[in-house]
Amino acid sequence: MSMQALNRLVARSIVDPSVLQAFGAGHIGQVLGELDFSPEMRLNLTAIESESWTDFAIQAYRLVKAAEKPAVRIELPSPLEGLRGEAEQKRTGFGQVA
Amino acid sequence: MNPVTREERHWFLRRVAQGLYEYMGAASPPVPVEGLLQHPPDPYREDFGVVDMYSALWDATFARPPDGRGSVFVRIDLGPSERRFALARELLSALITSRYGRALGLVQLLMADLRDSAEYFARCLLVPEPLLQAFRRRGGKATELAEAFGIPAEAARLRWEESPA
Repeated sequence: MSMQALNRLVARSIVDPSVLQAFGAGHIGQVLGELDFSPEMRLNLTAIESESWTDFAIQAYRLVKAAEKPAVRIELPSPLEGLRGEAEQKRTGFGQVA
Repeated sequence: MNPVTREERHWFLRRVAQGLYEYMGAASPPVPVEGLLQHPPDPYREDFGVVDMYSALWDATFARPPDGRGSVFVRIDLGPSERRFALARELLSALITSRYGRALGLVQLLMADLRDSAEYFARCLLVPEPLLQAFRRRGGKATELAEAFGIPAEAARLRWEESPA
């Protein structure tokens, strides 16, 4: 939801000067409060230090994107598979001897 | 301004297009870009317009005298789809150089890659994401996009490829 909220905020800023006015006055937190950001994300966004609105928007995009990125799953083979392979090899070996 | 990737710049341009599209409230294509230039949102009012030209080296170009009202100068003999695309492309320059655009910081973000930015922006503005999704849901095909949205075939092809189904 945060990305949708950020999309709406930046799109709105293009045609609605009140967003830029709030940003310039250091009150962007109030505008963020009207949108669907988590309290933690709102704090992070409010803490962004930027030299312009576009700079803020890009930094906010990076933050929100990083937060929304799904956790990377490291898929290790099951230890059982190694044992199975070993058992299989042994069985095959026995078969050949027999 | 810190370095910005192409993907980040394109994200921002999609937001610019989204803001203008929502302002226009177009429910179906073609998107009335000429109307937008003649009646822009409040922050850009009195800041730009359209001037028809009988001959020019380019299809369209934007010019703004120092501290003055800017205009898109567009060749009068362009077909409707070429005219629409050229106006949408030059609209970005109008936005960037407007008083409000400068206050937003558009110059720092978009001026360096203006050609790529302007063409990408034009495609996003003329084929807005909600209308493209609706077109796809109704079974619209890539080959029909240009005619449905009134844009040049190459722009339609790129827009179709850029937007995930």
